[in-house]
Formats: sequence, structure tokens, C-alpha cells
Amino acid sequence: MDSNIDFKNIWKQQTSSKPNLEELIGKLKKFRNQNLRKLILANIGLITTSLFIIYIWYRFQPQMMTTKIGIVLVILAMVMFLFAYNKMFMVFYKIDQTQSNNEYLQSLYVVKSKQKFMQTTILNLYFIMLFLGICFYMYEYTSRMTIGAAILTYTVTLAWIAFNWFYLRPKTIKKQQGKLDELINKFEEINNQLKES
Amino acid sequence: MAFEEIYELYWQRIFRLCMGYVNDTDLAQDLAQETFIIVWQHLPKFRNESSVGTWIFRIASNNCLRQIEKEKKFTKTDLPVNLEEKKQESMEPQIQMLYQFISELPETDRIIISLELEEVKQAEIAHIVGLSESNIRVKIHRIKEKLTQKFRENGF
Repeated sequence: MDSNIDFKNIWKQQTSSKPNLEELIGKLKKFRNQNLRKLILANIGLITTSLFIIYIWYRFQPQMMTTKIGIVLVILAMVMFLFAYNKMFMVFYKIDQTQSNNEYLQSLYVVKSKQKFMQTTILNLYFIMLFLGICFYMYEYTSRMTIGAAILTYTVTLAWIAFNWFYLRPKTIKKQQGKLDELINKFEEINNQLKES
Repeated sequence: MAFEEIYELYWQRIFRLCMGYVNDTDLAQDLAQETFIIVWQHLPKFRNESSVGTWIFRIASNNCLRQIEKEKKFTKTDLPVNLEEKKQESMEPQIQMLYQFISELPETDRIIISLELEEVKQAEIAHIVGLSESNIRVKIHRIKEKLTQKFRENGF
């Protein structure tokens, strides 16, 4: 190979028109909002629901202990979910983008693995607490019904819970995990490129 | 250093780095813009522990590495890439070829060779990527060999 190709020269010929600064700063604002919007919506949604449930407690003054336990469980489920969701978001945002590629890939890998664990655990806990809460809550009202109506009410509710637990939950987990696994594998693979010497 | 100054100085260099990584003009533009958004956000926190160049190239290359995460959302098919190629027909074939070959390398190699062609010092590349300098030197040598071979196969 006598004549070397001047890669540097070829490389430098690639140029691109620079977007003007105002345009970029406009994008900056949009970018920031976009990422926060989902988080804010989830927070508002669940907080409003919790407040509504508390209002029901106040308005209808349940008599039995089971009803109160039910309400507390449902609210706790939502609070826990929100807490985990917010925390995960923060962890993701705290990744230092100015570390070396090697360190950065490792942090991405760690965060994604943590996210995978949390998603499954939190989702399972959320469902269990929510279902238990609903079953407890219903007891006071069904106890005033005829036996037949009470059985029917619980059957329908339990069927709905079973559908969530056996169909929706695994489906959601599978979807989330599939995406995460793919990313985790990819980050690991890229990270390995740096290991071999 | 003021943001405007950095922007003037580094736009083309960052764009080329992103272009080497994805070989797609629009995507590279987006990635470069995102890089400057991050730079803008983090500039107040920048202390002169390393040079501005190292700092910016780290942000840019990390952002490229993270690109796969976004890729999933858009599911880039072959279609836009082909359209892109048609748009660039006027561009010299060597330039097209070089960027295409680089974008076909393993992810970290793309970053290393792009920085090398950008005339970033090898010690600095080592610092950006997080490998030893000797390691970088070996890698650059191998990548250049690979690229030369590919060019030869295509009649250069």
C-alpha cells in the first residue's frame, strides 16, 4: 500500500449548515417541556384520584374498619407508584453526561438494570395493593346486599382482577422488559467493544 | 468561554462526529443540536478540569451512544436512508463512502475514528473514550487499515 488515502481531507469536506442560535434555544425549551410533561401528567392524574378517594371517605363516612383499610391501601398503592416513578425519572436524569464513554456506558447499563428490577417489583406491588384495597372497600357495601347480589358483585370484581393480573400485567411487563432487555444487551455489547484490547 | 463562541467553533466538528456515527444527515443534525442543548444546560457547571474540547466531545459521543434508545421509538427503516442518499447525489462519492464505511463500524470504533479524523490528539481521545492511549493507538491503526481495505475494494 504505497499511496495512503487521505481520510482526514475527505472527512473535513462534509459540512452542514448551522441552525441559527435562536432556533436552537427555541428547541431547548420544547425539549425540556416534552420530557417533563409525562411525569407531571402521571403525578397530577394519581394525586387527583387520591384526593377524590379521600373526598369519598369524607363525604360518605364509611362505618366499617375494612372500608377504611381498603381506602388506605388504594391510596398507598398510588403513592408508592408515584414515588417509584419519580425516583426512576430522577436517577435517569442524574447520569453524568460528561464522563468518559466507558463510564457512561456502565452507568447506562446499571440504570437500565435497576429500572428493569423496579418496574417489575413495583408493578406487582401496585396491583396487589390495589386489588386488596378494592376487595376490602367493597365489603361494607356488599354486606348490605342480598347474598346473591353480593356473590355476583364479588365474582365480577374478582374476574376483572384476574383479567388484570393474568393478562394485562404479564403483557405490560413483557412489553417493558422486552424493550429494556434489548437496550441492556446493546449497552453491554458496546461496552464489551471497549474491553477487548 | 461563551456559548455562542463554542457553537461557532464546534458545530461542524460535532456534526461530523454525529454524521460518522449515523450516516444520516437529518439524524446527525438532530444529534448535534441535542449535544449543544446539553452543552448549554451544563455550561455553568463546567470547570476547567479538562479542555472544553474534551468536555464537548464527551457529551456528543455519549449522546450518540444513547441514540439506540431513541431509535427504538422511531424504528428507523431503510427507507429514509435511501432517500437521504438520493438527496446527496451531488456530493463526492469518496465523502459518501467514507461516512458510510465509518457508520458500519462497531459503535465505539465510529467514535474513535471520527475523533482521530477530526485531529483530536490521541491522548485526548483516550480521555474522552476512557481507554488507555496505547489502546487507542492500536485501535486507530486497525480501523484505518479496515477503511483503506474497504476503499480499495471499491476501486480507490
